Amino acid sequence: MRTKQQRLCNRILVAAMLVLSLFFLFPVIWMLANSFKPDGAITADMNSIAAFIPPLPGRGFFANYTAILTSTGFVRYMANTLFYAAVLILLGIVVNGLAGYALAKIPFPFREQWLLVIMMLLIVPTETVITIHFLIIAKAGLLNTVVGYILPMIVNPFNIFLFRQVFVNLPDDVYEAAQLDYCGPVKYFFTMVLPMSKTVVATVSVFTFLNVWNDYLWPSLVFTSSDLLTAQIGLNSITSNDNTTMGQTLAVITLVTIPVIIIYSLFSRQIVEGVTSTGSKEG
Amino acid sequence: MSFIEFRNICKRYPGAGKNTVDGFNLNIEEKEFIAFVGPSGCGKSTTLRMMAGFEEITGGELYIDGKKVNETAPRDRGIAMVFQNYALYPHMTVEQNIGYGLKNMKVPADEIARKVDWAIRILGLEEYRTRKPRNLSGGQRQRVALGRAIVKNQKVFLMDEPLSNLDAKLRVSMRTEISRLHRELGATTIYVTHDQVEAMTMADRIVIMKDGIVQQVGRPMELYDHPVNRFVAGFIGSPQMNFFRVQVDGGQARFLDGTVITLPKEARERLKGRTGQLVLGIRGEDLKTDAQSVAAQLEGRMHSVIVNTEVMGNENNLYFDFGGTQAVARVSKYEIKEIGDSVEFVFVPSKIHFFDPETGAAV
Repeated sequence: MRTKQQRLCNRILVAAMLVLSLFFLFPVIWMLANSFKPDGAITADMNSIAAFIPPLPGRGFFANYTAILTSTGFVRYMANTLFYAAVLILLGIVVNGLAGYALAKIPFPFREQWLLVIMMLLIVPTETVITIHFLIIAKAGLLNTVVGYILPMIVNPFNIFLFRQVFVNLPDDVYEAAQLDYCGPVKYFFTMVLPMSKTVVATVSVFTFLNVWNDYLWPSLVFTSSDLLTAQIGLNSITSNDNTTMGQTLAVITLVTIPVIIIYSLFSRQIVEGVTSTGSKEG
Repeated sequence: MSFIEFRNICKRYPGAGKNTVDGFNLNIEEKEFIAFVGPSGCGKSTTLRMMAGFEEITGGELYIDGKKVNETAPRDRGIAMVFQNYALYPHMTVEQNIGYGLKNMKVPADEIARKVDWAIRILGLEEYRTRKPRNLSGGQRQRVALGRAIVKNQKVFLMDEPLSNLDAKLRVSMRTEISRLHRELGATTIYVTHDQVEAMTMADRIVIMKDGIVQQVGRPMELYDHPVNRFVAGFIGSPQMNFFRVQVDGGQARFLDGTVITLPKEARERLKGRTGQLVLGIRGEDLKTDAQSVAAQLEGRMHSVIVNTEVMGNENNLYFDFGGTQAVARVSKYEIKEIGDSVEFVFVPSKIHFFDPETGAAV
């Protein structure tokens, strides 16, 4: 049973967290509220509390959004990004999952050393290898292609590590039972290992999605054709256009933010479980 | 040729100084129920896993149904296995777990449904067929594991301590269930356990192992009544057989505490004149404390004082110090004695065992 002091501490903590979360939410609320206003109203409300209150729904309420969705290529950029994310999630689960499984369950020479090398890659910043990636993709003639964009993004040391940490705790006797049930190793991976590790699969999927959704540098290097651009590049090109109004800028930023908020709200439990499971005891 | 033949099977793990299983020889006939028993680390599970194909055989030959299977993949050996931790597929329902092997064997769907229904019915799992393993009790999970093994119609069942995770009451009922299944299905069964009661109650023959070496193979009562060495004598039976170090000379046995008894005629005959240091073994139930048995025996009466009692309900265990060690007598529940009571007892002459103190071999 909690003491009076503990309850008081708990209340203070909750209050502090509420204040902190409001502090973080203010820019988002401001962005959302102003994305429905014409530029004149945004400027007029700037120094008052009205800056955080959206206008009443009426004629022209969605004008900024309609302008963005109809007169720019933003829908296409969003669709492109969703497609890249879907492909990278699928390929990432298969490739990183298989690598994680091998590191967890298949004995081979220098297995632990390999794991160490992969873990060391975690500390290498993306920016330091991106030039190499660019040169390889350019030499392969894959610049401005979907394959060229996707290829270097499939393998992710962090995801391999996540998979390995979860797979190492899978019971070996289930694999033995599956062998006697005429289930080969590849089928075992797809029909047993992945379904038994739903949490890590969800975590890796969410991380991959966010990675692709928020990535700016790599797509800006690979893509030159506007047909292939991603949401973040699209966002930049739309907002840097002189004809784009302040309200439209806020509307496009809101549109880019929405999927991230949805993903975090839907999968927050899996993200926490997936990350904490990497610190679980082996054996 | 026997249905299953282990010919000088050895297992040595890389870097190990000695074999985990050493020179394992055994012939198993079709439909036999064989139990491998022994203490932890004796090699019984390793032997079973070599038979399943999960451990590489480092020496010797293994034949199943006339075919050498040393290099054969587990699934092609014609075996089904029940694991200690059930090894159920956690994301599948009971019926999916049971039918999974058949599905992979490309058995037609209607036949899978029929076989799964049959297994579910005979194992009493009707209510749970759509549940996942996490929503089942230990006993129910074990029955699903049995179901998964029996539907595939394999000729050999391997069971690796299948009841060790169940509570005592459930173990007894599952014991009966496994024995019934064995009788009904007629599959050759190899059952690994460290519980000698399971081995004694279920097996046609028992293989007792220690340090990777087979100590004795035989029918349960053969092992109980005629152990070939002190290890087997001590391992089989509960409470454990009483052992006393004695100096045998001129038909008499001198115990470590100086007590001297005249050995009964049958015991003297068994010794065939051997004298010197020996270990005398006698089971608790062959150490008689009732007045009638004591009165009937003119030679070899002994005395002591009760130091502990265990009331088991159906019988009592009386503990007393004798011959420099603690001895136990299994007596009828009507023979009530208290701590501190003096006790007079005799050995049943035909049940006295002698073992070599150095090698442990039966004399």
